[in-house]
Amino acid sequence: MRSAVLIALTTFVALLIQTTLVPLLPFGAAMPDLLLVVCVYLGLYFHSPAGALGAFAIGYVQDSFSGSLPGLNAFAMTVVFVAVYLASRRLWVTNTLSKILLVFVASLVKTFAVLALLGVFLSLDGIWRTAVKYVFIEAVLAAAIGPLMFALLARTQQEATEH
Amino acid sequence: MFEFFRRNLTLLTSGVLLVVSLVLVSTNARTRRLDDPIAAALLEGMRPVQSGVTQAASSLTGIWRQYLALVGLQRENEVLRQRILELEREAVRIGEIEQTNRRLTALLGFRDTLQGPAIAAQVIGKDPLPLFRSFTINRGSADGVRKGMAVVSPHGVVGQILSASPHAARVLLLTDHNSGIDAVVQRSRARGIVEGALDDGCLMKYIRQGEDVQIGDRVVTSGLDGIFPKGIVIGRVRYLHPRSRGQLMSTDIEPAVPFDLVEDVLVVDASVRVRDGDS
Repeated sequence: MRSAVLIALTTFVALLIQTTLVPLLPFGAAMPDLLLVVCVYLGLYFHSPAGALGAFAIGYVQDSFSGSLPGLNAFAMTVVFVAVYLASRRLWVTNTLSKILLVFVASLVKTFAVLALLGVFLSLDGIWRTAVKYVFIEAVLAAAIGPLMFALLARTQQEATEH
Repeated sequence: MFEFFRRNLTLLTSGVLLVVSLVLVSTNARTRRLDDPIAAALLEGMRPVQSGVTQAASSLTGIWRQYLALVGLQRENEVLRQRILELEREAVRIGEIEQTNRRLTALLGFRDTLQGPAIAAQVIGKDPLPLFRSFTINRGSADGVRKGMAVVSPHGVVGQILSASPHAARVLLLTDHNSGIDAVVQRSRARGIVEGALDDGCLMKYIRQGEDVQIGDRVVTSGLDGIFPKGIVIGRVRYLHPRSRGQLMSTDIEPAVPFDLVEDVLVVDASVRVRDGDS
C-alpha cells in the first residue's frame, strides 16, 4: 500500500515537473520522459499485476495531459512494462550502466509503440520528421536521468517501509 | 491450469490492459472524441498546482537570467553589486509589467477587432510529449469555454478547445497532427485544409490543381468548418510541393503564431465576426 502511494505521488510530481518546469529547459521540443522512468522502475521491481496496472495508469494520466488519443500512452507504457518485466527476469539489471541502457531502450520501445498505434489508427502524415528528430534525444535524456530517479525512488521506498 | 494462471498472472494482466488500451484508442480514433471525464477530473485537480508552479518557475527564471547577466559586474565591484541587483530587480519588475501591459494591450486591440463574445485566458501548462502539441489554459466550462471553440491570439489562430473541466481546458494547437482547419489563400481565395505537422509548421492540403497559390501568400480561416471565425490569419505559404497527387496539390505553411511565446489567448466561437480590413 505504501509503495502504491509512493508511486502515485512520484507520478504526480513527475507530471507536474514535466508539464511546467521541463519545457523551460533548453532542449527544444525534446524532453526527458520522467513518467517513462517511473514505468521502467515498476517493470524492474514490481513483478505483479499491480505493477502492470500502475504502468497502464501512468500512461493514461499522460494521455489526459497530452493532445494524444486516450489509451495511446496507456498502451505504450504497458508495452514498456512488459518488455522491462521480461528483460529483468532474464538479465541482471543492477549497475548504473545497465539501467541507463534499459531506460534508453525502453524510451525507443515507447516511441515505436506510439508510432505503430498512430500508424494503425490515424495517420503518420506530418509526424515522421519530428519523431526521427527527437526519438534519440528523448531516449538519451530519459536514460541520463534514469539512474538518479531510480536511486531516489529506491531510497524513498526504503524509508517508507522502515517507518 | 490454475498453476499456469498463477505463474503468469502479471503477463496475463498486462495482456488484458493492452487489449483495454487498444479498445480505448480504437474507439477514440473512430469517434475523434479526445476527451473523457477522468481526464477532465485529473486536469481540474492538477490546475491549481500547475498554475502555481508555472508562475513560480517563471519568476525564478527571470531572476536567474538577471543574475547571470550580472556575474561580470559582481566580480568588478562588490560594493556596487547590491545596488545594481536592487535596480535590476526593479527593472525586471518594471520590464515584466511593461511586457504584460504590451501583451494585454495587443490582446485588447485584437479583441476590439472581433464582433462577439470572447474569453481571455492564460496558458498555464504545455504538452508533456514532443509528438503532440497542446496547451492547458486557466479558463474552463464555468467561464463558458466549451469543446470545439476556437482559440486565437493577436498573431492569429492558436488552436481549438479539446476538452474543458470547470476551471481549465486543453487546447489542441494548430501544429498538432490531429488538427485540421478549413482555410483559404487570402489573395486568390484558393481553398484547402490546413493540417498540423509538428516542428514543420503546417501543411495546406487538398488545394485544386491549377489554383493560384504563391510562396508568401497569406492563409486565413474560411469560416466554413463551424469552429473558426472567417478571416483569422493562420500563416504564410512557405513551400509549394512539386509532386502533388492527382487533381490536388499541397503547400507548407509557416504558422503566424510563435507558439513558444504565447502566454495570453482569446477563446471565441464560430459566431464571432472579424471586422472588415482587420484580419
